[in-house]
Amino acid sequence: MTVTPSIVAIVMASGAIAGCLGALLGLGGGVFLVPFLNAWFGLDFKTAAAISLVTVIATSSAVSAGTAGRNLINLRLGMLLEVASAAGGVAAGITVARLSDITLERGFAVVAALIAILMLTRLERRNVIVGGRIDPGPLGGRFHDEESGGEVAYRVRRLPVALGVSFLAGNVSAAFGIGGGILKVPVLTAWCGVPMRVSAATSSLMIGVTAVASVPIQYANGYINPPLAAAAVLGVLVGSRGGLWFGARARAKWLKLLMAIVLILVSIIYLRRTL
Amino acid sequence: MIEDDSPSLGRLEIRLGYVLVTGVIASAVLLAAGLGLWLWGSHMTEAAWLLNAGLIVLMATPILRVIVSFGEYVVMRQWFFVGVTVIVLLELTVTVLVALSRRG
Repeated sequence: MTVTPSIVAIVMASGAIAGCLGALLGLGGGVFLVPFLNAWFGLDFKTAAAISLVTVIATSSAVSAGTAGRNLINLRLGMLLEVASAAGGVAAGITVARLSDITLERGFAVVAALIAILMLTRLERRNVIVGGRIDPGPLGGRFHDEESGGEVAYRVRRLPVALGVSFLAGNVSAAFGIGGGILKVPVLTAWCGVPMRVSAATSSLMIGVTAVASVPIQYANGYINPPLAAAAVLGVLVGSRGGLWFGARARAKWLKLLMAIVLILVSIIYLRRTL
Repeated sequence: MIEDDSPSLGRLEIRLGYVLVTGVIASAVLLAAGLGLWLWGSHMTEAAWLLNAGLIVLMATPILRVIVSFGEYVVMRQWFFVGVTVIVLLELTVTVLVALSRRG
């Protein structure tokens, strides 16, 4: 398609909305941007996914720069899981050119539906241990929780599960243009003992490296239109500022519920398109 | 042991924050300038150069974050995490090499 100033403006506005919601949920925002650019706007799936993945890098850097210094980002756990997520990103980045758009769209519907179910079944779970007396171990941590007002300590459990889901998230990220946080955050929260806010902050940092593990390949493949990518990135940067401001005032349960509703909507849109 | 190294991890977190915010601002300025020139319709060569430079700075920022982490873990003598960081850097090197081979 010919890129006109009005198309640039629309892409920038959709980037702003996606960035705001993404920062609010600890995701890259791609889960909103990909369906918008692809299903609504008519870009082919690989182009939409590649542009979205570029914005994931921007969201990751911007959101993490904002959260840095609050002890919410678990740097050691993040780096360890990046070994798996980057491997997934490289693998999918190399193979995605061989997959058809319809296959990718079906996959997108399935992934979104699975995650929505996962979130809804675990809405009431909390694994935050208030008191700060437990030994967090080499990968755990402690932070000041604004919601309860106390110091919270946590241990990381089931590390192989966290590594496995990170590898899967890396593949999903590169193939579908999303951050991969929508897979990692629920699993880290539900099974690995990592509190919601720490999972979200650590995932936000990780998705930048995960995306960079495949974006250069997609850039070389010609899937990234520079003016549209620039418009989307600038929109996302403005939007994620808003989301960050909002996020500091939102409650964890409300965040989970909102996350699940959004995923169900995205999944329905894609199931209707491909069935 | 955990109590001892959390201040240095906190310092690393703040330092990485600076790396990320610098990278984001630099790429946003390049992308905004490139997009502005591109919309203006003249100087298309310069516009394309600025847009591509902005995208490259954006992609380089998380890689730089991993490199800075590597340096900090060496200073902290946390060899396990030095090794982990090296593996991540090797993976990103594979990506960049594949991208360069497809472009060339």
